[in-house]
Amino acid sequence: MSTRFVLDEIVDPFAARVLVTRDSDGHIAHARFDLSSLPRIDQLLAGKPVVEVTRVVERLCGICPVTHHLAGVQAVESLTGVDVDPAAGDVRALLHYGSVVDALAVHLAARERTVAVAARCWGRAAMAAAGSPQHFPTTAVPGGARSAATEADLAAAIAVAPAGLETLTRLAADQIGDRRREDFDGWNLALTDDDGRLHPLGSRARVVDAGGDVAVEVPVGDLGELIVESCPGQPAPRPYIATGGPDAGRYRVGPVAQLLAADVATPRAADLRQRWLDHRSAAAARTIVAVAAVEAAMTLLEKGRLLGLDDPGEPPVVDGVGVGAVDGPRGLLMHRYQVGGGVVTQATIMTPTAQNERWLADLLTHALRADHGLEDAVRAADPCLPCSSAPPGAMGLDVTDIDGGA
Amino acid sequence: MCVAVPARIVEIRGGLLPMATIVVGGHSRECCLAYVPEAVVGDNVLVQNGFALEVLDAESTRQTLEAFASVGVVFDEEGVDPAVS
Repeated sequence: MSTRFVLDEIVDPFAARVLVTRDSDGHIAHARFDLSSLPRIDQLLAGKPVVEVTRVVERLCGICPVTHHLAGVQAVESLTGVDVDPAAGDVRALLHYGSVVDALAVHLAARERTVAVAARCWGRAAMAAAGSPQHFPTTAVPGGARSAATEADLAAAIAVAPAGLETLTRLAADQIGDRRREDFDGWNLALTDDDGRLHPLGSRARVVDAGGDVAVEVPVGDLGELIVESCPGQPAPRPYIATGGPDAGRYRVGPVAQLLAADVATPRAADLRQRWLDHRSAAAARTIVAVAAVEAAMTLLEKGRLLGLDDPGEPPVVDGVGVGAVDGPRGLLMHRYQVGGGVVTQATIMTPTAQNERWLADLLTHALRADHGLEDAVRAADPCLPCSSAPPGAMGLDVTDIDGGA
Repeated sequence: MCVAVPARIVEIRGGLLPMATIVVGGHSRECCLAYVPEAVVGDNVLVQNGFALEVLDAESTRQTLEAFASVGVVFDEEGVDPAVS
């Protein structure tokens, strides 16, 4: 049986729609971003052999294929319990860091063109050095990594890294003073390493409250129980953190959440973060996370164990539940596969866009009431749509009144 | 998820926001080339919500279409709601 996707909903221009409800006096009660154009692909994975799922999942997302690629492979690995060779872990991390900087370039294209070009150049060089020079990555395989990268590819990434780091550091320092502050009274979720420092491929998930105190901390394998969907299976699933309940457990992910949740492990980014904490703009947060990515990548490139990886071979197919998570450019992405008889029986892909819907709703409501900053609200929460990185004034937001509740 | 579809460019109209006529699943559509100014007629591009995101080589295009087909997705002019039973 095939599932038909109407071309209109995937290919045609999506009127980035803000849905507004008003009170009896006509004042804005609530606004939210319409996510109905983002279909739930995870439901299509049911019934498919798990060994095939990892080969296709990254092809289903056009904007952040690297993040889906890594999360999908991790989910299969967590089923098998296989240990990943540290060198393979380094190559995967390099791939991720390249994707972070490449994603930043899109946001900068309109207003910081020179920096955007440099960021894209380095991001692509880093991903090529990690064995994935094309748009769709192939580096990670369950149990390890494969890479046809050469010494020349590594040299190319190393050569442009210092200048890229300087450029991004200067930009972040300029952006820190931006008066726009992305406050949110919900929680912030990010991945950390075992030492409690931010790590995009970390083994632990940390949730901090608006005051900065740790609300809950779990191994990544428990994310499927930590994150609960209020509207299961919907394009807007309205997830919440289980320990907080549907209302108090609302949360956000992404660079702002990351910098609020934990310390940064790299020196320049750590210094920028300390200065950022007094201001908290989303644009500066994105750039600081990119600075951390370049710093970490430079360490990996200099360590010099990114070539000559051994093929781990096909892992055994094991039934059970596997969870993979990556704290990507837009925030935490989770893949959770339930497997029986080697076949996926149930899959959940929890995207940053879905997790940030309620934060974005807060930002939009505030912006509409202030009659100012609607596009900035969308840029801050950064839903995974082309409109999020549109030039100023070109986002094409359609504000529509709807009846009833949000 | 941010589903994007490979399509082939058959016509380009320049300007501040360059637009293209693309063919996907045998059907003609329009998209904006603002994010891929280097694209030319005959290129395959990845398209989402009216924007071309990336130029794809032939192998990537083939593998991406195969990936969609493997999970039973077809892109059609006259589709039903994209809900899974």
